[in-house]
Amino acid sequence: MTRSLILAGLFFCCLNSRGQYAGFTELKNAESFKKLYIQSASATESIQADFTQEKSLTMLSEKIISSGKFCFRKKDKLRMEYIKPYSYLVILNGGKIYVRDGEKETKISAGSNPAFQQVNRILIDCVSGNMLDNPDFQYRIFENAGSWLVEFKPMASNLKELYKNINIVLDKKDFTVSAIGLYDATGDKTNIRFQNKQINAQIPDSQFDIH
Amino acid sequence: MQKIQTRENCVLKFKPEFSRVMYKTSADVRKTHISGLLLIKRMPDSSIRVVFTNEMGFPFFDFGFGADSGFTVYQITPNMNKKYLITTLRKDFELILFRNMESTSSYSLQDSQLVYHAYPQQTGINYYITDIPCRQLVNMQRASKKKPVVEARFPGNIYGNEPDSIIIRHLNFNFTISLKKISGLAAE
Repeated sequence: MTRSLILAGLFFCCLNSRGQYAGFTELKNAESFKKLYIQSASATESIQADFTQEKSLTMLSEKIISSGKFCFRKKDKLRMEYIKPYSYLVILNGGKIYVRDGEKETKISAGSNPAFQQVNRILIDCVSGNMLDNPDFQYRIFENAGSWLVEFKPMASNLKELYKNINIVLDKKDFTVSAIGLYDATGDKTNIRFQNKQINAQIPDSQFDIH
Repeated sequence: MQKIQTRENCVLKFKPEFSRVMYKTSADVRKTHISGLLLIKRMPDSSIRVVFTNEMGFPFFDFGFGADSGFTVYQITPNMNKKYLITTLRKDFELILFRNMESTSSYSLQDSQLVYHAYPQQTGINYYITDIPCRQLVNMQRASKKKPVVEARFPGNIYGNEPDSIIIRHLNFNFTISLKKISGLAAE
């Protein structure tokens, strides 16, 4: 696990000018990867993990680091609870979004905030294995000894305004997501790394309650 | 209210020195609530950058205020890319950053308890309101020719430090921005 996290961190820093990733080679034939990925994704009912989020503001030489708890349950339930250094909770459940920002609670219905919905939808697709089927993205696959790296490039113009590309790092031994990298169109990036993953553990409904 | 001689150093001693500070931020615009993280950073060329993202890293805007003057929109999310909104936010930040403090055009007014230090802007006037002995910055106001339109405060301490919290409240429509300093978040 530690090795794959280090590798994940390394290659998010090492995208070279030709769009390759240091230490990774591009797969020419993605079919065997796709088959294994879909198999693994279909066997994954839930994921629980700790996460560390690192937002890099390139021009300002700044990093904003936060951490918390992550839960996902098929097919569209997601909970991200930021614990340090601020408290923030977002739950997605059946197209509805619940946000708790300190004392303030907000419920957002599908469609009322398309950008927010879209970003969260991408997170669900990344961890659930559906991104390969998302027609809004073209993808390339890279590998090294311990990980797969899938690079998604947005095709839809509204997504292109937001993201240059979105990268998912998968652990080769179990095909679970180790990290998600969101590369903003501005050149900044957000890297979410997952630790202490528990696959298919029971997650109670209450975790996804939108009151 | 009577016009009195301007005491330049009175207001400037309350000017916050934002070197690098992160605020947990919430903005309520009519019935819409937005929250996120606002970074204010002084750059090596003495310009100031104000960057707002949501808690999940989604970027809202990145504004630059030149060392002496000037304003640059480095980035803004399409939903917020409205001229009136950018102008409003620019003026709000200029008020709390103590920008455009041209001493030749400034003047002061005093009533029985407070001194209104006035700094005319391109449109309207920014007021920094202190007690008479100039021990305390009571609040800041942006005003049109007729009335105050924005009120801002640094609750708690300041005296040249980064304020722990900042409140910017619009008086002509329902728009309030609240910022609370957080530590342990940004690593250079």
